[in-house]
Amino acid sequence: MATAVPHVPPKQDLPPPGGYKKIPFAYVPAKSYFTGFTMIGAYLAATIGGMAIYYLTARKVKRDEIEMRSAENVIFPILIAERDREFLRQLRRNRDEEAELMKNVPGWEVGTWYGEPVYKTLPEDRLVSPLFREFYVHSDWKSTAKRANLKLWS
Amino acid sequence: MVITSKTTLPEESELDVQELNLSSAALRAGSFHLGKQCENANNEFMLCRQELDDPRACLSEGRAVTSCAMDFFRKVKKSCHDEFMQYANCLDKSSGTMAFSHCRKTQGVFDKCMKDNFDWDRPSYGYFARAKIVKTEREAPKKEEPVVYEDATPGLPADYPTPPAKYGSRFFWLE
Repeated sequence: MATAVPHVPPKQDLPPPGGYKKIPFAYVPAKSYFTGFTMIGAYLAATIGGMAIYYLTARKVKRDEIEMRSAENVIFPILIAERDREFLRQLRRNRDEEAELMKNVPGWEVGTWYGEPVYKTLPEDRLVSPLFREFYVHSDWKSTAKRANLKLWS
Repeated sequence: MVITSKTTLPEESELDVQELNLSSAALRAGSFHLGKQCENANNEFMLCRQELDDPRACLSEGRAVTSCAMDFFRKVKKSCHDEFMQYANCLDKSSGTMAFSHCRKTQGVFDKCMKDNFDWDRPSYGYFARAKIVKTEREAPKKEEPVVYEDATPGLPADYPTPPAKYGSRFFWLE
């Protein structure tokens, strides 16, 4: 027994009508926006322009620095004058404190090691600034730390 | 401590001065006019301080500096208080370093007030940064004389004969 099979023509994979696209094998150069000379020109322009702006800014910065130094030079003597007075006051306080502290030690002289001075070649009345710890030796810890934070870290 | 009982320290009466109770912004705001008005006192004090290098020797100059600054700020407070405070406030709040360049407007107002009231001009920006020669009444400290040692080797007399070298110079091409 045979079943009737209708005849369907086979479908073939064929090129599209009109044929395939051509294969682009020729070299396609990149699109160029600038020529070399333009780029060199742009570089020079940017550099020169930048240098000009830098020059103007540097001049202003320098001027501001001079102005600031000028103002500091004016304030400096006022601060130093005030500091000197307080410094000498504190030296007297320290000396009195040391005399009070060591009054029961026989043979102790203030500012010396039992009469032996720290600087023996200097004239007697020369004022030598004491060391930092020495200057604050009789004061409380808090003021020492406050000043130390300023002085020893800077 | 290095301060002995033989070191002279000034009495409290010499140190007792009314101090300038101002913030750094105020000092900076007034600095240029102050420097111009107290130029002599400041120069004298700094010269003394540099030459003698002793805080005890320059106490009177220091008092002059402080009293001059005190007078100046009293005058400013009397006539230009608002302008001054505005300028100082601007300096204080415009930058961390209290730079002048942010406050030209308020500075102009303050300068104008100083000009109108006292006829004081603001000196140019580098005026106090320039080197100066200060003429002063105080005598300059004596220079330390060079040390003379008694047992030093005596030199040759000035008229000692100097004959030409016997075998020529080592650097013969320099002759």
